Amino acid sequence: MRIEQHPILEFDRKEKITFFFNGQEMEGYASETIVAALHAAGVKELGKSPELHRPRGLFCAIGNCSSCLMVVDGQPNVRACVVKIKPGMQVELQSGKGDLK
Amino acid sequence: MKKAYDIVIIGGGITGCALGFELAKRGRKDILIIEKEYLTSGATGRCGAGIRQQWGTVLNATLARDSTYLFENLEEYTGYKGDCGLNQGGYLIVAYTEAEWTQFQKNLELQHGLNIPVQKLDPQGAKEIVPHLNTEGLYGATFCPTDGHADPFHCTFAYAKGAERLGVEIATYTEVTGLRTAGDKIIGVETTKGYVQAGTVINASGYNASAITKMVGMEVPVYPERHQILITEPVNHIQDPMVISFHYHFYCQQTPHGSFIMGIGDPTEPVSYNIQSSWKFMEDCATQVTHSLPILKNIRVVRQWGGLYDMSPDANPVIDEMKGASGLYTVAGFSGHGFMVAPKTAIIIAQQLTGEKPDIDLHLFSANRYETGELLLEPSVV
Repeated sequence: MRIEQHPILEFDRKEKITFFFNGQEMEGYASETIVAALHAAGVKELGKSPELHRPRGLFCAIGNCSSCLMVVDGQPNVRACVVKIKPGMQVELQSGKGDLK
Repeated sequence: MKKAYDIVIIGGGITGCALGFELAKRGRKDILIIEKEYLTSGATGRCGAGIRQQWGTVLNATLARDSTYLFENLEEYTGYKGDCGLNQGGYLIVAYTEAEWTQFQKNLELQHGLNIPVQKLDPQGAKEIVPHLNTEGLYGATFCPTDGHADPFHCTFAYAKGAERLGVEIATYTEVTGLRTAGDKIIGVETTKGYVQAGTVINASGYNASAITKMVGMEVPVYPERHQILITEPVNHIQDPMVISFHYHFYCQQTPHGSFIMGIGDPTEPVSYNIQSSWKFMEDCATQVTHSLPILKNIRVVRQWGGLYDMSPDANPVIDEMKGASGLYTVAGFSGHGFMVAPKTAIIIAQQLTGEKPDIDLHLFSANRYETGELLLEPSVV
């Protein structure tokens, strides 16, 4: 879901690009963060809590809360709510606290 | 606080609390621990909390070995309900110079003589234990699987609570402002909460030790030196041992929580009470650690902090009765390894003070070694 019209804000979505989520091709706009593009595509579960392994979704949306830490291009613990998508970017759900590579 | 105590211990770090516990355990009554702020507020609560038996002198290696045995059952030993967080992932000590490697072989012989299970490893063997170790320029390494780390807060609280159960009183937020003597005998301690008489005073105040002895006009060569530590975000477990290099002055371990905790010594650090964090430390530490453990190059730093070592000229403690103030003992100057030797050191001092035969002779830590020049130089310090 995306807001198409807003009484005050204007959206410059920029060009449409593709990236990958768990290996699956996804579409989004170049102006969007990873989480925004995933939400628009219906993906709301962004990870699991480290101790009890319960689903975690978007919470603070400003890069503070650690609720949306994901593996991006092999790099663990990326705050997906503040990082923008790039063409061909590989986004994956993270297992546990993330594996250093 | 009462008006008079048999023994007053100055300092609520692990040394002071362990001493209070061991003395009370041996039947001594009327013990007071005085702490300027809260328990662990000095060096103990800011330390790296490593436990290493791989030392280069018999005395330090023995103290650390026996303390490790005590850390292994500290909860039961002190009757503590919490978890002291001991994690024996080992210490991998890496040698980057030939001189260092030669010294390590000597250390190894000494450690084997004390039944400390240290292994000698070539660079490939070191890599098997820490696969992400950069072996470039590495001569070899030694590894002791029973080394590790523990939680400095819980360990101190374990001793403090155990001591309180045995009747020891602990006065926090109480600062010592003076010492009273009669002739050459200590008779009491002035504090911000009033005067208390004392038969014996133990100065376990870490980097404040010389400020305390100056109150009776005596000097001990113990001075504060800032050391800093940084901690990263947690990641899945990849490293068991503490990796440590004396040549580059750094150490780095992964905590059970997943964070990497690391520090690097700065040989140019001045004598000072400064505990501010510095950019220089962050840069030096990151540069060195990511060179030796390149896998950490993209991990994020969460915070850093500074604390004070109670340094002495030979990086070993002063454990002695002060000449000219009988009844005043100084137990300080551990130079960054007080936590790991505190359990056994406390037992020996308690044995000495209660007339038992001490398990280990501590005369090498006497205060007059700085006058006679018979320093106890420890080849293995960060």
